[in-house]
Amino acid sequence: MKKLSKKSAALLVAGLVTCGLLAGCGGGDKKDAPKDGGKAAAKTLVFGCQMYADGGIDPSAQTNTAWNCSRFGVGQTLFRFDDNVKPVPQLAESATPSDGNKTWTFKLKKGIKFSNGTEMTATKVKEYLDWIREAGKKGSTRPQQFLDFEAVVTADDAAGTVTIKSKKAYPNMAASLADPSMVILDVKGSKDMKNGAIGTGPYMVKSFKNQVGYEMVANPHYWNGKVPYDQVNIMFMGDASAKANALRAGQIDLAENIMNVADLKGLQADKKFTVQIAPGTRCGFSWMNMKQGRPLANKALRQAVLKAIDYKTICKSNTIGGLYTPGPSVIPSSLGYGFDKLKNPYEYDPEGAKKILDEAGIKDTNGDGIRELNGQNIQLRYISYANRLLNDFSDAHTQYLKAVGIGVKSEYGSSDDQWSKLVAGEYDFNNNNWNSMIAGAPTVYMGNWYSKAEANYCGFKSDTYDKAYEELLTTMDTKRYGELMQTLQQTLIDEAAVLVDGYYNSCIIYNNDKVGSAHMYPLDYYWITDEIKPAGAK
Amino acid sequence: MDTKKNKFLSNKGFVLFSILALIVVLVAIFAPVLSGGVDPTAGNLADAIMAPDAKHIFGTDKMGRDIFARVLYGARISLASTFALVLTVFVIGTALGVLAGYFGGWVDAVIMRIADMMIAFPGLVLAIAVAGMLGASMRNAIIAIALVTWPKYARMARSLVLKVRHTDYVYAAIVTGSSTWRMLWKYMLPNTITTLVITAATDIGGMMMELAALSFLGFGAQPPTPEWGSMLSEGRDFIQSAPWLMLYPGLAIFITVVIFNMLGDNLRDILDPKEE
Repeated sequence: MKKLSKKSAALLVAGLVTCGLLAGCGGGDKKDAPKDGGKAAAKTLVFGCQMYADGGIDPSAQTNTAWNCSRFGVGQTLFRFDDNVKPVPQLAESATPSDGNKTWTFKLKKGIKFSNGTEMTATKVKEYLDWIREAGKKGSTRPQQFLDFEAVVTADDAAGTVTIKSKKAYPNMAASLADPSMVILDVKGSKDMKNGAIGTGPYMVKSFKNQVGYEMVANPHYWNGKVPYDQVNIMFMGDASAKANALRAGQIDLAENIMNVADLKGLQADKKFTVQIAPGTRCGFSWMNMKQGRPLANKALRQAVLKAIDYKTICKSNTIGGLYTPGPSVIPSSLGYGFDKLKNPYEYDPEGAKKILDEAGIKDTNGDGIRELNGQNIQLRYISYANRLLNDFSDAHTQYLKAVGIGVKSEYGSSDDQWSKLVAGEYDFNNNNWNSMIAGAPTVYMGNWYSKAEANYCGFKSDTYDKAYEELLTTMDTKRYGELMQTLQQTLIDEAAVLVDGYYNSCIIYNNDKVGSAHMYPLDYYWITDEIKPAGAK
Repeated sequence: MDTKKNKFLSNKGFVLFSILALIVVLVAIFAPVLSGGVDPTAGNLADAIMAPDAKHIFGTDKMGRDIFARVLYGARISLASTFALVLTVFVIGTALGVLAGYFGGWVDAVIMRIADMMIAFPGLVLAIAVAGMLGASMRNAIIAIALVTWPKYARMARSLVLKVRHTDYVYAAIVTGSSTWRMLWKYMLPNTITTLVITAATDIGGMMMELAALSFLGFGAQPPTPEWGSMLSEGRDFIQSAPWLMLYPGLAIFITVVIFNMLGDNLRDILDPKEE
């Protein structure tokens, strides 16, 4: 009897616990549902996105924090990029060059205020442009790429103009100042630049939770009409499936870049969601470390690497699902920098790859399936991270390379790991996905392979490339610019300098019940904008 | 001895699960034969994420690799790493526990306080932190889990040693000139070994799960190594559209863990007199 009682009690407790757990699973919606039948909820947007650089929004700290500031709808630039990657007025109404493009005068729009109510005067713009160049020296944003340190900024509050005089000519300074690092912030008014910068964007930071996200509220002083949402909650979620499931479960209303083909196709087929895909300016590519002493300093090995990989099959596969377009150049084929005229001597040809290796004396002498270079088995270190299908590309490359006898050791971690190893040169392959049209042109991006550039993380050196790049920096002639771009691209291809994954399309996905409209730009500097409107809003 | 042998053979559960465990081990050993010579790390992207068919009976994964071959080879990684882990914590934990229990004093205090510190943290969380610091690899995953698991064995060994440390026959052995080494080896260790072997046997399933968990989270086996936990992780994005990516490695973990858990339970039934 006693035993039976204990058993019964145990069963009862187990039953109660199970009921409790099941009760916890359900009913959440009712509890969270607004009492006014959903009208209040419609004014809150929940946005799921990848967390970059710990979610900071200080534009002087890192490139990613500058992007966050723009992407989260906090900061805006004098000009911004449109669907054709052309700079169009935003906080400024015009930009006028003079003195051979060395002096630029920006006429500011009237009546613009920061979210703290302070007027955005010419002096405020000057304050910011001076501050970002000084503060940016400590971080990795490198604002001097967009406005050189020596440029002198003068403000005329009465006329509402900012004049910038530089010793060097800018082909289009409006485009340079459209980079996210040039978002105009209230420097003196921003008490917490890291997570609470004060800008002119439609939303302002209410609170920030480390590793969780932001609570943003509408900027009461917004200059461009009524802000569509009262509140925007930004939730950090790096996992593509987590984003997709959160969308399906109604936990988020809008997500950027769900790069899981299965989930994306499922959402595209579901009428409840809208998937917008924009042909992008991004290129997925692996740096190949050519610094002295590294295996990939050997050109024959690099050539064999490029020939060993079947780029077209990878991009067409069920894994990548056409979200990337294959191509040999670091500039996306859709951007029109002479892609069609480029010649690629490294089309997929595994037998050709083996022949190159054999001729270079890179052979498998011990019969373990891996070739040896300088008497040692080749074991290339592949750094990658889970973003925009990069790990899938890295896995695919590893597989193809193994087939021709090139050993690869994968090391996958966070985006910060990938970045720190890139900067430290601790890699052989380092896979990432970069915007090729920084400041609306590929000039800055192509500097990644200029031997005198700080951003040349792979040790690439070519006199042809350097000469063409130096001319690219100074030319004002559009036709010549195009010719030089072609030379640069072809040099990188000929030197087997870069392992290109393909050209990536950005996407944004939203729940039609919650969001009426949203827009994805080719340059993904803009996520939360005043163009995202609640369902039913005009 | 005969009685003991009969005890093993007369326990049907033990015999059954021993045979099943042996089959799992044989599958791991003969994976190259059973997979028909298919390389588990070689695939064709053109065949990626294909449903099971006559050519690939478990289907293919994201890289077009044969999941059947990967599951078979995965048994090698999972079993080898689990046995290595269990053996490591068994040896280290037992040795430290016996030393702490026998010598007492500051030796006991130092070993046990370190053990207390390790136990104060949630096991898997600490293992994730350690694996994160050491870098992602199967070896580091084993080290990480070993670091958080040895105290269990040490505490158990210590308590078993303390039970006999102050008995007359132990003092008699010391008085008659037995060396410290002999005391530990002949008198202390045999008193702990049965209980610890049972613990180790019942821990195999749990350890396998923990290693798979670390690999699932990216702290264990790295691609393209066929390991069940990392295969689950690779397949989770496709759980709705291509469930075979998770189903087969999941089943492999489930079946293997059940077999080793049941084997451990039956071994305990045989060896632990309290259960009789």
